[in-house]
Amino acid sequence: MASAPLLRMEQIDKRFPGVHALDHVDFDLYEGEVHVLLGENGAGKSTLMKILTGLLPKDSGRIFIRGQEVRELNPEQAQALGIAMVYQELSLVPSLSVAENIFLGRLPRNRLGMVDWPETYRHARQTLADLGVQIDPQAQVRQLDVAEQQLTEIARILAKQPKILLLDEPTSALSDTERERLFKIIQRLRARGVGIVYISHHLAEIPLIGQRVTVLRDGRLIGTLPVQQADEESLVRMMVGRQLTEQFPKHTAESGQSLLRVENLSLEGRLHNLSFELHKGEILGIFGLMGAGQPELARALFGLNPRGAGQIYVQGRPVHIRQPADAIRHGLGFLTRDRRASLVPMLPIPPNVTMAGLAQAPLLGLLNLSKEEETAGRYVRELRIQPPALNRRVIYLSGGNQQKVILSRWLSSQAKILIFDEPTRGIDVGAKAEVFSLMNRLAEQGAGIIMISSEMPELLAMAGRILVMRAGRFTAEYERSQASQEKLLRSAS
Amino acid sequence: MSENPLIERSPSHANEARVAPEAGGVKQTLQLLLLQGGPLIALVLLSIYLSFASPHFFTVSNWVNIVRQTAITAILAVGQTLVIISAGIDLSVAAIAALSASVSAVLMTQQIQVGALLIGPVNFWVGLLIALAVGTLAGFINGLIITRGRIPDFIATLGTLAMYRGIALLVTDGLPVPSHLTATELGGYLPEPLIWLGGGNILGIPVAGLVALAMGILGWFILRYTALGRAIFAVGGNREAARVSGINLDRTKIATYTLAGFMAAVAGVVLTGRLNSANALMGEGEELRSIASVVIGGTNLFGGEGGVVGSLTGALIMGVLGNGLNLLNVSAFWQRVIQGLVIILVVVFDQWRRRRFTA
Repeated sequence: MASAPLLRMEQIDKRFPGVHALDHVDFDLYEGEVHVLLGENGAGKSTLMKILTGLLPKDSGRIFIRGQEVRELNPEQAQALGIAMVYQELSLVPSLSVAENIFLGRLPRNRLGMVDWPETYRHARQTLADLGVQIDPQAQVRQLDVAEQQLTEIARILAKQPKILLLDEPTSALSDTERERLFKIIQRLRARGVGIVYISHHLAEIPLIGQRVTVLRDGRLIGTLPVQQADEESLVRMMVGRQLTEQFPKHTAESGQSLLRVENLSLEGRLHNLSFELHKGEILGIFGLMGAGQPELARALFGLNPRGAGQIYVQGRPVHIRQPADAIRHGLGFLTRDRRASLVPMLPIPPNVTMAGLAQAPLLGLLNLSKEEETAGRYVRELRIQPPALNRRVIYLSGGNQQKVILSRWLSSQAKILIFDEPTRGIDVGAKAEVFSLMNRLAEQGAGIIMISSEMPELLAMAGRILVMRAGRFTAEYERSQASQEKLLRSAS
Repeated sequence: MSENPLIERSPSHANEARVAPEAGGVKQTLQLLLLQGGPLIALVLLSIYLSFASPHFFTVSNWVNIVRQTAITAILAVGQTLVIISAGIDLSVAAIAALSASVSAVLMTQQIQVGALLIGPVNFWVGLLIALAVGTLAGFINGLIITRGRIPDFIATLGTLAMYRGIALLVTDGLPVPSHLTATELGGYLPEPLIWLGGGNILGIPVAGLVALAMGILGWFILRYTALGRAIFAVGGNREAARVSGINLDRTKIATYTLAGFMAAVAGVVLTGRLNSANALMGEGEELRSIASVVIGGTNLFGGEGGVVGSLTGALIMGVLGNGLNLLNVSAFWQRVIQGLVIILVVVFDQWRRRRFTA
């Protein structure tokens, strides 16, 4: 690593109206290195990456590639320099095929200048096989699930053979096996001399994949250290600026009477005779690998899959949930796995918080705007939503804060039965800890929580009981004391 | 001004919530004005220019004229605003206006035999109710077709546009109402209050303009203060999120189109009064002018944001422009070219300031 670094960014500074997004940040990257970039939501990671990919101009500072200063950087130049980024928010075209997406804008041509489809599909299949995934190159992207889409996105970027690869939370939608595969690919790229910037919220991943770690907080560089010196505790301290005594607050409330009983819930081809019970004060974990049917179960419970069959009892009484309004009326709340599916981006916080109340209101019923603002203000303070600007559109909030807005919605709707589908996906350590302690508080107050997650450590720490799904069926049930990662994995695969 | 609920409300909250206390209050106010008042600025600039270009422009009688001419577009634009914010589009508003006007005009001037029943000629109030009922029903049918038939709003209303015009032609036999035939046979003229609605004044202000203002206030109120209004923003801003939050998408859509139909009927009645006659083809092209007004007014054509105030301003811009070009003796052919150009320029400017000031 004695030679000039592949990339050096010096004193990068960037301001947005009201926010100092980057405060003279230094960053560098060597050939064959994986440099992990850490920081809470809003710490400036994305801004730094956007400057590097030419999407945002820097206010001041200098960028060197292989020792050569790059003065102007727009997306085309960045691409020409071999800089490529896999975004957390997918940038695929849903109506096109996997292969078309992989070669978007540069489909192979034949001698007549027409698209060479056999070559396109062959090449796409090759690229996907390199990733070790089984996705049909001719399938439409909209038909893929989130993990497959993410893998397609990664394949698309790798097909450009980048020299500097930026990965923004590439594993957030991947199962463990897929993650392993991605890590192998990263090792292979390293061997070829590619430099990789790896943004992650998974502290546990860092020693597996990185060589150096850089932590940003509030737009400032807190430090860069080799991965050997980066234990979880000190990283968390660097990220949040305070010590989190417990990442997982231990929940001890005894579970009480039955809140929700599900009998023989089925959805043709997807869910098969699922029966379970959720008690007052209980956090019930549901674990499964990709495609085991957890999202379908959540959606069916919440009335988003009207063709489901089976019987649901709420507090002992049989109920019919044909649409989300029914579910809300019976006291259910649903934190969707994709935050974007829950928020109206152009509206500010208050209407997003109170939205679940609209279902029960008559069409021309009047809104109580001052009460709405008061409610929203209370949750903003209580859940520490940042920035606490009620008139700010939620699209400008960071992921963790958006998650808190959705949580506020279900808290204010007085939901007693909460379905949390991957509640920590794409949010940072600090926000995670807050979400967990909130879940515990809710359970203590008598709510029942169904926690669907692919994060085994989180499930093991939070859930009193864990159900394991495979191919639309429950295959096992563990009490917290009996459960372990090995057992969960064995029952799931 | 924005219809976005809660924007700019409660200064106390906004102040304590400000992220970084930046000094320049004036600068922020200017930014806000440029961000939210784009169409208004365009209207003022246009008016200032025309005041210098023509001595006849900035006179009371001319403004009365402009308001009267703009009223129809403005009323249609209010309904269109609700529809567009919900991420829909209603091409049939002008056809609904013509249909409801035709049906009620026929009933107000002639005796109709339905089976063994002789109806009419009815008085103004009954005629008005019939017109509103026809328009409301037509809008409701639009909503039903879109939600039950699961077809795009554009296609559904393109179809009903033709159908409603066709039914209006059938009802009127393709003749103006009252025609010389009916007028001589039955002595049937349109009722006085109807003509007053289109052509009268209150304290020098055109009644048509007041009706437009009332519809504007109604639309503004619905968007800002009712559950339906909020649902319209939610459905237009993110269908999936609205669905997950328990909002009934179909019910919202149907209610929105029904309201647009109601407003279209009001426009039809006012137009009949102004022309002193109804016919099946009246207001042709008004649907496009209403859409143009909404877009000029800053409402997002893809839904989720916008408001009635902007649309009324947009309608006024179109009205002032047409009036000004007339005063300047610009030929009718060139007027069309210029009007089209202005629509494009205003929206280009709108997109630019959005990008510029919402980082």
